[in-house]
Amino acid sequence: MLPIILMTMRCFLRDRILFALLGAAGLLLLLIPAMSSFSMRQVQELSITLSLSANSFLLLILATLLGSASVWGDIERRYTAGLLGLPLSRRSYLLGKFTGIAVFLLACCAILAVAGLAVIAIAKSQYPAASDPQWWVILLASAMIGLKYVLLAAFAMFFSTLSTSFFLPIFGTLGVYFAGTASQEVFEYLNSDIAENLSPLVKSCAEAFYYILPNFSAFDLKVQAVYGLPLDAMSLLGTLLYFLAYLAVLLTLSVWLFERRDL
Amino acid sequence: MNAIEIKGLSKTYRGKRGARVEALVDLNLDVKAGEVFGFLGPNGAGKSTTIKLLTGQLRLNSGCAMLFGVQVSDPDARLRLGYLPENPSLHGHMNAWEHLRFVGQIHGLDAQRIKRDSQQILELLELDKDAKRPVKGYSKGMTQRLALAVALLPDPDLLILDEPMSGLDPLGRALVKDIIRDAKGRGKTVFFSTHITSDIEAVCDRIGIVVRGRLCALENVAELLREGVEGYLVRYADKLGCQHEDLIVRDRLRERLDSLLASGATLDAIEPHRRDMEAYFLQTVKDAEACLS
Amino acid sequence: MKRSLFLALLILVLISVTRFQVDWLAERPIAVKLGYTPAAEVQRLLAGEHRLALSEMSVIRVLFYFGSLVDKWRNQIMLPPEYFNMYKTVETAVKLDPYNMDAYYFAQSAFTWEVGRAREVNALLDYGMKYRTDDWYLPYFAGFNAAFFLQDYKQAAQYMERAAQLSGNPLFAKLASRYFYESGRTQLGIAYLQGMVEQERDPQQKRAYKLRLDALVVTRTIEDALSEWRQDHDKDPQNIAELYSAGLLAQIPEDPYGGEFFIDEEGKVRTTSKFALARPVENTQQQTLDEIPEAKE
Ligand SMILES: Nc1ncnc2c1ncn2[C@@H]1O[C@H](COP(=O)(O)OP(=O)(O)O)[C@@H](O)[C@H]1O
Ligand SMILES: [Mg+2]
Repeated sequence: MLPIILMTMRCFLRDRILFALLGAAGLLLLLIPAMSSFSMRQVQELSITLSLSANSFLLLILATLLGSASVWGDIERRYTAGLLGLPLSRRSYLLGKFTGIAVFLLACCAILAVAGLAVIAIAKSQYPAASDPQWWVILLASAMIGLKYVLLAAFAMFFSTLSTSFFLPIFGTLGVYFAGTASQEVFEYLNSDIAENLSPLVKSCAEAFYYILPNFSAFDLKVQAVYGLPLDAMSLLGTLLYFLAYLAVLLTLSVWLFERRDL
Repeated sequence: MNAIEIKGLSKTYRGKRGARVEALVDLNLDVKAGEVFGFLGPNGAGKSTTIKLLTGQLRLNSGCAMLFGVQVSDPDARLRLGYLPENPSLHGHMNAWEHLRFVGQIHGLDAQRIKRDSQQILELLELDKDAKRPVKGYSKGMTQRLALAVALLPDPDLLILDEPMSGLDPLGRALVKDIIRDAKGRGKTVFFSTHITSDIEAVCDRIGIVVRGRLCALENVAELLREGVEGYLVRYADKLGCQHEDLIVRDRLRERLDSLLASGATLDAIEPHRRDMEAYFLQTVKDAEACLS
Repeated sequence: MKRSLFLALLILVLISVTRFQVDWLAERPIAVKLGYTPAAEVQRLLAGEHRLALSEMSVIRVLFYFGSLVDKWRNQIMLPPEYFNMYKTVETAVKLDPYNMDAYYFAQSAFTWEVGRAREVNALLDYGMKYRTDDWYLPYFAGFNAAFFLQDYKQAAQYMERAAQLSGNPLFAKLASRYFYESGRTQLGIAYLQGMVEQERDPQQKRAYKLRLDALVVTRTIEDALSEWRQDHDKDPQNIAELYSAGLLAQIPEDPYGGEFFIDEEGKVRTTSKFALARPVENTQQQTLDEIPEAKE
């Protein structure tokens, strides 16, 4: 599996589009100190918000593109014909490919996180805030962003193994992203008094979706990072376990489907 | 042990809106180890479908297929296989060296052997000068050569080549024939598909002809060539010393020779005159199509 | 050659269209610029994880808009501000990010003095205090609003107590108690504004605070003169000029906001400008403002 991981990553590193994207993100980060100074009372907080948001946004694009293009693209360009004629199981191919994408995403996330810390330090030095930023919480929030998009990339890959065109992987992934980000909010709304006279059918449908869709709000530590709020170790651990379990299910399903697919 | 065993193999493609294409119907075929087998058929006959089934890219609808006794659904079946896909496509960002190294690693070869063999194969296929360029810039023929190099690298016991000659210049074709002969000489098995009959005569031990998904002929090439002798071309000089050429049908050779010799002519040469492979192939396809429809 | 000429022509057309576009965009009515803010719930759903950024962007948008208005007022161009939309946007911003200090700060500086919506601002601050539990600014602002604008001294004392606790600075509690009576109101305002001027970074905001501070200082001078007058007279003076003639004022004081000072029937010092750069204008936008229930001044 290692050769396929390495090959996947090597091809990413040679792709100019990905570098253009990373470069754009770098430029965006450079603008953050200037943009933060528009804030009246929370320059430092704004710089943290913006750098985390920029990180998250770039990873969204990367995870969607790389995950969606993975299997579908290889089939479309007929790389699979040669690859799967080798003594390489489809499981190894798929998992190797996914690992390559995941490592690449996490590496991008780490680079952006470190760049973000530098940018925050600059913003902070411009207008010192009442309290220092919680560097570790910011790093943890970045790590959670990384995990979230690894999970999203697994979704993209899942769609990619099903599909014969780019349409389902790209739009399916974006759909899952938006639904997964909003699901907690909707769930809370449905359980509040406002939604009392909603039909029970709608409610149970929404609830089913809530449990099926990935809950991305669990990975969102921005508020804690920006305002230095305390973190709950147990819920972090819970999120980590949730990530692993969900990822395992998704990958197993993808492998299962891909093994049954004609190329 | 047979290198390839196919029993009752069928494949039906399911398209959109319930469209079905019966690409392969009840195929039975054994290829012995050490044999060179030519798989012939017109376009769309099901050659590539068979090969894709053998290399694990398609799911079997029914029947079974084995390479060296291992079910094709098992990736280990491909441990002794070198496979050249039809119109191969290789990762554009990687160069020839990297492709070969990757394939060697998947086959579990050690780095030194990969390096040595890659060098040798690249030289053989005349790719060594372009080996460091990304494959993106390769011509069709160069890509075909590199894909062939990929198939050859692990020195496999079985080569499955889907239209290996397509996209190659005459030099390349000759090279492929050499490679097939060389593999045969070293006891390897080769199974290749083609629709060009002249390739067959030169290298094949046996051929199978597939038409509309059905195997309709399975022949030994040497026998076919023997049987295919329709007459003899006899060159002789009569007693006045004038040169003549005569085409004599098979059954009357003896009779004619006797009369010629009796007349005092001197024989220069007797060559068998064959109905060529092309004609045989066309006739088989025509018969099969007539039979099927 | 021909092709490059054609391209040049196309680019020229694009430039001229862009010029036109820029002008057109600049002349859009203000309402279009600030625009309509969708419901906070919708924004929360759509913004997802980026809601902190969105919240901050909304506040900065309002801030820019307000800044452009203040500039215009200074140049005597009176545009009715869209207070309702501004307030809604800020309210949405804190629903997106209840910790957003910029939103509270802006609400405090924009909706109290000019428009007298101290009650709504305090509701907003109350909401913020649930989240920013160790920020003394919020109770301090709320305390000031309660005392200065709402004249609810009991409430004000509670807020100030909390501010004092959080900041570890007992000054707040003292400051509050010292000025928590009617006649100390101007002094309370002066103390508050002095604090704000000191810590404000933005030059425009700083100027706004200074202007108001100057006005209060002038008011304070007149009030001092008036109480001196009352020691000698039974009746209040007819106007400010009388105080000047009596030698209690060094000069006829000028209102920095361009109005004129007078003494009302209750004997309070007031000005025709009401300390506001923007004069109320009767029009539809003003009506929308009234959808926010009126707070007593
Ligand atoms: N993926 C596919 N879906 C549907 N039909 C297919 C597919 N691949 C091949 N076919 C059909 O199967 C038949 C055999 O194709 P193929 O094996 O590629 O022929 P060839 O002998 O030329 O290699 C053809 O009629 C072809 O149209
Ligand atoms: Mg074919």
